[in-house]
Amino acid sequence: MSLLKLCNLSITFLDGKEPETVVQNLSMTIEAGEKVGLVGESGSGKTISALAIAGLLKRKDVRIEGQILLDGRDLLACTDREIREVQGKEIGMIFQEPMTSLNPSRTIGWQVEEALRLHTNLNAEERRARAMEALREVELTDTERIYHTYPHALSGGQRQRVMIAAAMICRPRLLLADEPTTALDVTVQKQMIALLHKLSETHGTAILFISHDLALVRTLCDRMLVLRQGKTVEEGATEQIFTAPQKEYTKELLAAVPKFERFPRPLPQEDRESVLQVSDLCAYYPMESRKLFQKKQKKQVLHHISFAIQQGEIVGLVGESGCGKTTLAKAILGLHRDDTGEITHRTEHPQMVFQDAGSSLNPSKTVEWILQEPLRNVTSMSAQEMQERVTQMLQLVQLKDTLRKRYPWQLSGGQRQRVCIAAALMLQPEFLIADEPVSALDVTVQKQILLMLQDIVQKTKVSIFMISHDLRVVYQMCDHVLVMKDGLIVESGTAEEIYRHPKHSYTKALLESAGAST
Amino acid sequence: MKRLSITFWIGAVLAGSILLFFLIGCFWTPYDPQAMNASMKLAGISIAHPMGCDAFGRDVLSRVMDGGTSTLLVACGTVLLGAGLGIVIGAISGYFGGLADTILMRIADALLAFPSVLLALVVIALLGTGEINVILSLGIAFAPSFARVVRGEFLRSRYLGYVQAARLAGASHARILFVHILPNIRSVLISAVLIGFNNAVLSEAALSYLGIGVQPPQASLGSMLAESQTYLLTAPSLCIFPGVALILLVLGFGLMGDGLSTGRK
Repeated sequence: MSLLKLCNLSITFLDGKEPETVVQNLSMTIEAGEKVGLVGESGSGKTISALAIAGLLKRKDVRIEGQILLDGRDLLACTDREIREVQGKEIGMIFQEPMTSLNPSRTIGWQVEEALRLHTNLNAEERRARAMEALREVELTDTERIYHTYPHALSGGQRQRVMIAAAMICRPRLLLADEPTTALDVTVQKQMIALLHKLSETHGTAILFISHDLALVRTLCDRMLVLRQGKTVEEGATEQIFTAPQKEYTKELLAAVPKFERFPRPLPQEDRESVLQVSDLCAYYPMESRKLFQKKQKKQVLHHISFAIQQGEIVGLVGESGCGKTTLAKAILGLHRDDTGEITHRTEHPQMVFQDAGSSLNPSKTVEWILQEPLRNVTSMSAQEMQERVTQMLQLVQLKDTLRKRYPWQLSGGQRQRVCIAAALMLQPEFLIADEPVSALDVTVQKQILLMLQDIVQKTKVSIFMISHDLRVVYQMCDHVLVMKDGLIVESGTAEEIYRHPKHSYTKALLESAGAST
Repeated sequence: MKRLSITFWIGAVLAGSILLFFLIGCFWTPYDPQAMNASMKLAGISIAHPMGCDAFGRDVLSRVMDGGTSTLLVACGTVLLGAGLGIVIGAISGYFGGLADTILMRIADALLAFPSVLLALVVIALLGTGEINVILSLGIAFAPSFARVVRGEFLRSRYLGYVQAARLAGASHARILFVHILPNIRSVLISAVLIGFNNAVLSEAALSYLGIGVQPPQASLGSMLAESQTYLLTAPSLCIFPGVALILLVLGFGLMGDGLSTGRK
């Protein structure tokens, strides 16, 4: 008998005006110890299916049809009490956001032991021993300290390890992992996959691995399912799907995965003007003083940064979270004041495209209003002229003119990011800073946006300073690349140089975790 | 749009009907609310006087309608003044933070430390009685609670992407505060205004009950309650009708505020 069997699972949300079916007739099986990947773009019903299996969907406004059989027992027919017996004991779950899925006011030890407290009769001593063992098993060092500390003192990767330890402590036979590596840096991602693999092998735990990152699924999973809009598109052995996909959508999805392939780009002309010059830039953050009368101390986050961007050039900046990428962007824009050194550019209003297009558009204004706002503030254009400029700009970012009256919440993620790019281009700046412009988007949308940015650079001769943690995206797009670590630029050069002949060990490590084959 | 809960609609119907009743009172009452008639002194409920007459033979229905109007006027004025001041203070201290925030919020804390009715008493003692002074004193007393709510929202919005984007688009601080951020906190503001309105109605009634709000012979729900005390046993209708009007108004707005904050998903 299979460990988990889904039979024609359909999930419908009833709280909107009309019922909305988000998962339709999903059928799948997971054998004991098997690692199955569930991939699909956002809105494809991946997370909802996992929540249904874990019994975490509220039943009042959700209609669940079909069967979820765990060892032949239908979880949908169980009472709440019976479900709680299964949760944590038979089925463990880890979530995407390690920041918010640990309780900030409890110690790590307490949280790891929680499942033992609920499902076993072990005494405090035995629980502690098990918890320490679990922490060691997820390859945390200094477990004694971590046991007594609180989540805020741990890094993202450590937190996710703690989450895994807590989910695995009762030795569940099925682990649901919902995008467990998405919020982590690439080098940490790789370690996390290795850890999941090891745990699954040693304890025979089956894993349902949900991800939008196809490369990760390939390294971990035996089998995979491709979902689209709540329906199964394709199912089969991972290698088979990767090497010989049957369905059109799967092919499209695989083709959109960023690879180390450069988009075709005409060679930049020589002797162009430089539009941005940064020399010897240092930036500081105030540190909290520990003692009452201690002099306020500063933490230096950027160390003597120098670089220049030429007209019509795309320059990439890569580095892991916390290395100072965003601070550099803010310093250039004048949003971070505490800095020394020199930043020269002629643009009066430098513009930026933010990572999260959702929050960078004012939710109570229409697209048209948002696009006109910079013109209203800075120029003295007539209403007619502003209208025309909006029309032009919507064309440039390939949006339909009818979208101008919509509100941001009526747009898709990709459309929102296009609006953000259009808004940044309204004042026709010489350069644009793009902070992780595509990392919140699905791969197929990612590719469209990147190609559109290329197109815009061709047409308008704008320069782009692109910040990204994804080396593949930077390699695809950029002429020059800067690699940053701990506030220092450790390596810089053309994209080809960096990719073919990395000099610094950190660049090599980044390339390796990003899956570069050379 | 999001669906509003049933609680909100019950409240809206209650508050709406009582508001309509008061609104009619602005333009028309069955009798002159001030006209005394010695022969009708403490007359009971009749067809001619559906709510009876008070100790001076004045028609209670007319006085409830008229008194409700002045209560509403004071409450609206108080909320407008309090919310206006509160929004400006809260916006500035939440958005700019730092020293401005510290100074403004410590003043607000100091004001919040006094009960609003007590604070209003002080202002009225200095300025004298009258509707305008009641509005002024209650408005100032209510401003800090609005400022607190608004400050929190601006503090949260300050680091959001769209505010940064607005700065990069060259918008001035004032424009960011009132054109970009303010429309986005309207749902919180509406709840705060509804709750504030309720408190204002009750505070006005309390001040009039103490005899320092609206002055006789003009009617007010609070002063009518105070006058009815003497005849509580002989003519209970005198206190029941203005009291019920007050309860329905406050209950209606309370339910509306409740429905707004809990009805959303």
